[in-house]
Amino acid sequence: MDFANSFQISRSAMAIEKLRMDVAAANLANLQTSAPDVASVYKPLAVLGRATPASFEQMFGTFNVRFKGGVDIEAVAATEVTPRRVQQPGHPHADATGFVTYPGIDHAGEMLGMMRALRSYEANVAALNMARTMAQRALDIGGQQ
Amino acid sequence: MSEPVIGAISAVGTDPAANLMRMAQALEASMAGAAGGAQGTGMVAAPGFEALFKAGLDATNQRLVAADTGVQALATGEASLHDVMIQLEESRLSMQLVVQVRNRLLEAYQDLMRMQV
Repeated sequence: MDFANSFQISRSAMAIEKLRMDVAAANLANLQTSAPDVASVYKPLAVLGRATPASFEQMFGTFNVRFKGGVDIEAVAATEVTPRRVQQPGHPHADATGFVTYPGIDHAGEMLGMMRALRSYEANVAALNMARTMAQRALDIGGQQ
Repeated sequence: MSEPVIGAISAVGTDPAANLMRMAQALEASMAGAAGGAQGTGMVAAPGFEALFKAGLDATNQRLVAADTGVQALATGEASLHDVMIQLEESRLSMQLVVQVRNRLLEAYQDLMRMQV
């Protein structure tokens, strides 16, 4: 069924938005994870996506064969953000100068990223539902009104 | 076809899939008879409608079984929720297509049965 293809496009986007949500949650979970030095501190993660490459038929312009679109997950990469250094002399993770290192996670940015992932996911669910409705309208052809 | 899911087709008898197959066979036989009477014996044996219908029915059944195993995978935490929901939607659409084909088949069969000879 050619509508399975439309579903696959939305499915790939839903998978990556789900991953974005998970990664944002992981970043938020490590908001207060202290470390003794800059090298061992948690690095905020970011999801990298890549548009699914065009199929052979698409490259030669025959779009009616089967449109292959969507997004592939390229990587979940660590970002190089300057860690937060807090003066807490009694802390078990305090270094010689009394500083504790916390990951430089952008709290508001992560919240915004989660919201964006959620809205994007919803948009893809809407796209999938519309494709399904279209398929059901096709099944209505010739039926009793 | 012994899977319980396929039993969801509005049943005509005890085994709906078998009933549909019989109907398809009868329809094909009557159509072949009509064509043969009109044109003689110069017909090439094409892959019959019955085989086509059976292939469609099998594909739908596979989708239903896949959705079934998808739900099981979800229960054991191996599949993601949206994947299973999409599988379920695909199988639902596939099922609706089978029902529509069955409706057309039944209409054609009844039209033939009502024909005055």
